[in-house]
Amino acid sequence: MSEALHVHHDTAVGHDVHHDDHGHHHQSFISKYIFSMDHKTIGKQFLITGIVWAIIGGLFSVLFRLQLGFPGQSFPILETFFGHWAKGGTIQPEFYYALVTMHGTVLVFFVLTAGLSGTFSNFLIPLQIGARDMASPLMNMLSYWFFFMASIIMISSLFIQTGPASGGWTMYPPLSALGQASDGSKLGADLWLISMALFIVSQLLAGLNYISTILNMRTKGMSMTRMPLTIWALFFTAVLGVLSFPVLLSGAVLLLFDRNLGTSFFLSDIVVNGQILPNEGGSAILFQHLFWFLGHPEVYIILLPAMGMCSEVLSVNSRKPIFGYMAMLGSMFAIAILAFLVWAHHMFVTGLNPFLGSVFVLLTLLIAVPSAIKVFNWLTTLWRGNIRFTPAMLFAIGFVSLFISGGLTGIFLGNSTIDIHLHDTMFVIAHFHIVMGVASMFGMFAGIYHWFPKMFGRYLNNTLAYFHFWVTIIGAYLIFWPMHYEGLAGMPRRYLDKSIWVSFNQFGSLDQMITIVTVIVFAVQLMFVFNFFYSIFKGRKVTSTNPWGATTLEWTTPILPGHGNWTGEIPEVHRWPYDYGKDGREFIPQTEPIGANESKH
Amino acid sequence: MEHQSASPEVTFTHHTSDADFRKKVIRTTVILSVITVIELIIGLIIYNIHKGPEPSAFLVLAFKGVVCILTIAKAYYIVAVFMHLGDEIRNMIMTIVVPLLLFIWFIAAFIYDGNSYKNLRNDYDKHFKESTMPKGHHKAEEHKVEEPKPGKQ
Amino acid sequence: MATTATQQTKWWSGGKSPFNIEYGKLMMWYFLMSDAFTFGAFLISYGSIRFSQNFWPDPNVVFNAFPGAGHANLPLAFVSVMTFILIISSVTMVLAVHAGHNNDKKAVIKWLGWTIVGGIAFLSCQAWEWHHLITGTHATLIDGQIQWVGQTTTVNPWGNLVDAETLTAALKNSTVQSIAQVVHEQHGNTMSHEQLLGLPKDQLLNMVNTAELHIREKGPVAFGGYFYGITGFHGFHVLSGVVINIVMLLMAKNDVFAKRGHYLMIEKAGLYWHFVDLVWVFVFLCFYLI
Repeated sequence: MSEALHVHHDTAVGHDVHHDDHGHHHQSFISKYIFSMDHKTIGKQFLITGIVWAIIGGLFSVLFRLQLGFPGQSFPILETFFGHWAKGGTIQPEFYYALVTMHGTVLVFFVLTAGLSGTFSNFLIPLQIGARDMASPLMNMLSYWFFFMASIIMISSLFIQTGPASGGWTMYPPLSALGQASDGSKLGADLWLISMALFIVSQLLAGLNYISTILNMRTKGMSMTRMPLTIWALFFTAVLGVLSFPVLLSGAVLLLFDRNLGTSFFLSDIVVNGQILPNEGGSAILFQHLFWFLGHPEVYIILLPAMGMCSEVLSVNSRKPIFGYMAMLGSMFAIAILAFLVWAHHMFVTGLNPFLGSVFVLLTLLIAVPSAIKVFNWLTTLWRGNIRFTPAMLFAIGFVSLFISGGLTGIFLGNSTIDIHLHDTMFVIAHFHIVMGVASMFGMFAGIYHWFPKMFGRYLNNTLAYFHFWVTIIGAYLIFWPMHYEGLAGMPRRYLDKSIWVSFNQFGSLDQMITIVTVIVFAVQLMFVFNFFYSIFKGRKVTSTNPWGATTLEWTTPILPGHGNWTGEIPEVHRWPYDYGKDGREFIPQTEPIGANESKH
Repeated sequence: MEHQSASPEVTFTHHTSDADFRKKVIRTTVILSVITVIELIIGLIIYNIHKGPEPSAFLVLAFKGVVCILTIAKAYYIVAVFMHLGDEIRNMIMTIVVPLLLFIWFIAAFIYDGNSYKNLRNDYDKHFKESTMPKGHHKAEEHKVEEPKPGKQ
Repeated sequence: MATTATQQTKWWSGGKSPFNIEYGKLMMWYFLMSDAFTFGAFLISYGSIRFSQNFWPDPNVVFNAFPGAGHANLPLAFVSVMTFILIISSVTMVLAVHAGHNNDKKAVIKWLGWTIVGGIAFLSCQAWEWHHLITGTHATLIDGQIQWVGQTTTVNPWGNLVDAETLTAALKNSTVQSIAQVVHEQHGNTMSHEQLLGLPKDQLLNMVNTAELHIREKGPVAFGGYFYGITGFHGFHVLSGVVINIVMLLMAKNDVFAKRGHYLMIEKAGLYWHFVDLVWVFVFLCFYLI
């Protein structure tokens, strides 16, 4: 804490004198690249860690898709790598559940929370609001290293004898609370909970930093309504995280107590292997309430950054102002509030009081309003735009497409009566993967392709990028669209082998197709990773400071900004960030003062 | 250094005179103490109602409600005076107070569902009902099941 | 910087804090808000479980001991002492922060010192209360016989009162040790525990005054879990608050703040300390009053 105030003087912004001697400090490799306090480096650290996690989490999905597409078939190579987890080349039940659990945990928390908002909040907030760095660079660094520790613990749980947590990424007790119930609920579940506690600390450190940076560190003239929508989205993301992660922390702590201290917060009336457990009076539904009080905002923690970045990318590459800036703000605000009020729609069939459920239905369906406003605004931003199909733009358009298709099925699931039929089927998998998983990945790709030149001073390879986009979007729909039909027919999720159901045999070849496409899409993601790392060192060099012709502040910095971002004084802002195609000019940077006879927007 | 300014973000700091400040702190301390004493008295009243021959559930509930309100009053004084939130800019106060409104639904839904869980267990788990219901309340319990349903065990 | 104070209307236009406070204080406030959600989640879970039970122990029955007062029935007495300790330490913290505003090093040290004393006193009280609850055993009806158990996370001795028939039957089933302890508790010092253990069971049973004996069934297990979990989590906050205050005290003593020209750090430590007090207000409400 003492450090925190100390660095304060160095990071002061606004009318303070500039600090261009900043970048010239001699920095060792360790303080520059490892324990760095520069927000840009920390952002890249989050991104690269996120990519590593995405490969691991994606690989898990390929493995369990093999089982789902080809149940019972032997892949001897699996035994070579995974030993008794894949005895005889077939995926064992414990292994399967460990895979799905870790796939969910890794993708939701480590990739799409830390990897997405961690990367772009860190990288973009100071650059786009005109600040030298985050409010507290030290806390920023700690946030990454807490995340790193959480990662290490989660990874280590993959290598222990009894395997990682395997009670599903939601960790519902009693399954996750009792070691006798499943191998994954032994040491693996403890490690999961500890890792998640560290992750929450990391998210809190980061979120507090983002909020106070956005509120306090904006440059002169950068009023709240002159901030790019990216920043607004990241702001709401941080607010959601700060208010909802603590609730998961409480749930995790109570679950740890249940597991290790014999308490009965979530346990009652349980018989395992003929043995009656003494626990009495706890409520398993209580854990689900606590979990989803975080879990639902978490969905928006994942989605909002993607929304914000796609708004920005769509506007820049349509060469048009974003349609309905204030409506965008309003709907993001509405989404942020509603995110806290709807958590129990994940629990309609758990024994939740049905009347309470009906209130949750009402609140849930309200989310359709702001979501529809946003979709409408994106489409009208594109409408009659002078569109440049850069890779980032394609991914942003893909995001809108996925958000629409995935959002519509949300209306099905938000109705508790329909949910009685659809819950725990492949329909749910299809819904949330499209609307939250893949859509957010697309937002992340849009962000990476758009800001890669700012991050590394080089471009990603365009040919590979276009290939990446088309395979991914077609693949995403090929993988997840058919799951709707499976789910409507009643095919359950989470099952190891569905071939014993005669009624689902008709989907056998469909499942094989899904698996094959999964493998292809995964391979193409690896190609993207290659493109990413190759281009960092060998990509085409950026020669102008503003390659996309964008108005926002990050493009007024040098091509590769040093610590402190601007060499001279921080520019002052005079207008909103979406002056594209105005008064016959293609774009007007935010730093340009309003002309005498300029038209109003 | 009468204007302590840690950074350019902050343009001035509000200052209260020592005498005013002392008065305010003493007043708040007295208020907090008095409220706490009232709470303790109510606590003892509730205790004695419980001990009595015919504990009135309504009276107990009413007193508990009063204690809750008094606690919120205490919280208000701690936050507004001791934590100086009352001296901040209005917008700042709002950013703290408005998110706390989420607690309303948070509390309502959790409590409602907890209560519902009790009713479910009383309906379907006879052993639970018999072993935990305070003696003499079996008949008074208003929640009745018309048809006996198969129990959990 | 004094010049900008005139344009008060443009708080949000950038270049300064819209709330006129430095980022550290802002962060502390939002951290406390998020911490309020942690505590809120704990307390609301407690409420949810409490509402899912047919029976919940009366806190006045559970918390009726006072150090040095033996078996006297003093409901709410000890916890009111704890509450006042925290309120007073909050007041001394306010005074420390105020002294910091006046750059009065001596007063800062004095009031911080008293705050630390208050914090340690509170923690000691809590330690005593926990110790008393865990080690102080109560005759409880468990599996048809009387056993002596303390309040732990796995068992709760504060259930429904046992009626006379069940009690008589339970006494017959109980071990000699348990009955001897009942007799020992009832008859005070007339015979030592060892002497009682030497007597035959029938004689012991005759010595029990069943009319005066109030035995309870096991109560809801969650009571102990939540009590220790939440007061423990609160105590952990008090402990970290004390550590922070000690650090502040040392920094003030070593003129760190004097050299810096301001004592704003104390203000943040103060916010944290008041928050600890604030949480206690609600813990006090949920566990001791209602």
